[in-house]
Amino acid sequence: MKRIVAAVAACWLLAACTTTSTQLAFKDAPKPPAGARIILLQPEVHLAVLTASGLQEARADWSQQGEDNLAAEMSASLKARAHQFRMIDPEGAMEGRTGQLLRLNEAVTRSIPYGYIPTKKGAFDWTLGEGAQALGSAYEADYALFVTARGTYASGGRVVAMIGFAALGVSVPLGNQYAMASLVDLKTGRIVWYNTALAGPNADMRQPDGAKLLVTAMLKDAPL
Amino acid sequence: MRAGLLAAVAVASLAVGSAAQAQRLAGVRPDLASDEGGLWSVSDKAEIGARQSAELDRDPALNAYVRDVACKVARDHCADIRVYVMDRPFFNASMAPNGYTEVWSGTLLRAADEAQLAFILGHEISHFDRNHSLTSWRRRKSTANAMMVLSAGVAVVGVAAASSAHTYDGASSIMDATRGLIDVVYLAGMASLFGFDRANELEADRLGLGRAAQAGYRPAAATEIWRAQMDETQASDFKRVRNSGARTNIFASHPVDAERIQALQADLKALPDAGAPGRARHRTAIRPHLAAWLRDDLRRRDFGQTLHLIDRLARDGEDLGVLNFYRGEAYRQRRGDGDLALAREAYLAAAAYSDAPVAVWRELGDLRRKEGDPAGAKAAYDNYLTKAPAAEDAWIVQDSLNSLTSGK
Repeated sequence: MKRIVAAVAACWLLAACTTTSTQLAFKDAPKPPAGARIILLQPEVHLAVLTASGLQEARADWSQQGEDNLAAEMSASLKARAHQFRMIDPEGAMEGRTGQLLRLNEAVTRSIPYGYIPTKKGAFDWTLGEGAQALGSAYEADYALFVTARGTYASGGRVVAMIGFAALGVSVPLGNQYAMASLVDLKTGRIVWYNTALAGPNADMRQPDGAKLLVTAMLKDAPL
Repeated sequence: MRAGLLAAVAVASLAVGSAAQAQRLAGVRPDLASDEGGLWSVSDKAEIGARQSAELDRDPALNAYVRDVACKVARDHCADIRVYVMDRPFFNASMAPNGYTEVWSGTLLRAADEAQLAFILGHEISHFDRNHSLTSWRRRKSTANAMMVLSAGVAVVGVAAASSAHTYDGASSIMDATRGLIDVVYLAGMASLFGFDRANELEADRLGLGRAAQAGYRPAAATEIWRAQMDETQASDFKRVRNSGARTNIFASHPVDAERIQALQADLKALPDAGAPGRARHRTAIRPHLAAWLRDDLRRRDFGQTLHLIDRLARDGEDLGVLNFYRGEAYRQRRGDGDLALAREAYLAAAAYSDAPVAVWRELGDLRRKEGDPAGAKAAYDNYLTKAPAAEDAWIVQDSLNSLTSGK
């Protein structure tokens, strides 16, 4: 019995001591010059509740809150910088050539964290190709900043399952949330900076305060 | 083993009483914070993808026709659904929880008339009206939870038994048996999920038939289209496909089978054998796409099925130029014994009709050249170049013609 209590306690401790931890993919990113025009695609967020057995049930209200809070925090924290920022609604931009580039960007940034492409093992040299210029001329911009967030939150039943399975020595994950940001040079198409931030318990993007913490962590080393 | 059986029975019993869901009201969006709101938000995103898909068929006349049939069977849900015709050569239609509907070109090509299309759309709209995706999701959730609890129970018993076993062999064989029991629980859970979907399909069939009949369509169309699907499956080149039974959907867990047709037939008895088939209207709507869709169908490389489909389309003696040309294409690409002769016969038949694609002359030219008939080949190539001087491959044909003339 003592062992079971210890296992449960350890799980709780582990969950509690997680902090916002960022993974920076590109450390010496060249800074965009002062006055550079940067478009910021409205953040795209998908949040879900993790059911007791581990299925993800989408929560549209949380995703909406996350999108609103991240957009507000991004605008606020970028306003103070030396560049011109403009927020773009992706829904309108998804048509035609710009839409193709946005989808290409999605596919490329999705591939980065896995590192399953053998040729990409060494230096960080991801690019959308020079075709990205079409995006630049469509929006009169030099750079594009993309932010997406994904995450799950454990339901009450999931927490109970975690405790129960801990007694059997089986660990049951309780869900996590993370945000990804990438900065693309629209002249060359290169992804000049890429970062992911795993949210700690205080960085809940459903709350304005949490979103602020998450955005601060995510942009900490941004070349902006 | 008894524990495993009990577990299986417990999970399977969850599936009982799934049919006859509540109807949904027209024009109602679910609460954003609900599980249904979550399903809708995911579907909304998928729908944006469909709207921008390169496979979306944007022909206004075709879309107006499909939309019109959909609205007739959807009645007060007409404003709730959005139908997208996707150029994909499979028999498939789908309904997302938010009313985003896809009808694939393979379905339009296979529906013999408006009444058959109305039944398919009525089936999909019934999924929407009865909230099948929501109830299916809830069932999946509760089944998964039950499976988790039951496998935890089995694991507890197994671990306890293994730790009291004194030899390594004893412990490991007990653990093996435990793993076996967990599989039994898992399989029973999956079976109950499929069972649930099957009940939904049967309900959607029955309600879809009702909707089509109420809109004035001939009810027998419902069983005709399923039968045609079964026949097409049997015409496949591949034994695996012939043995699998027809599928309403390439991702579906269950084949169209006698059970489904029987259930429909029972309902058909209660309906008058009258109503409009709308054959001419359907054919007029799909006619401009016949060539492109048949070309797509050939990419499946199941020539037996494509030939069967062409036979069905040719039954009333319409569009014989296009149909015979693609019959020829199927034989030419299949390249079985005697297929070349069959291809030539089909191309020749096509060439007699004014709607034959000009490519029929190029193919005839190639065939005759292969058979050592330079004069015939030359005549065919000449014909091709006269009819399609600006064709992309005109220079290739010209080159073939030159080589014939110079005797090389």
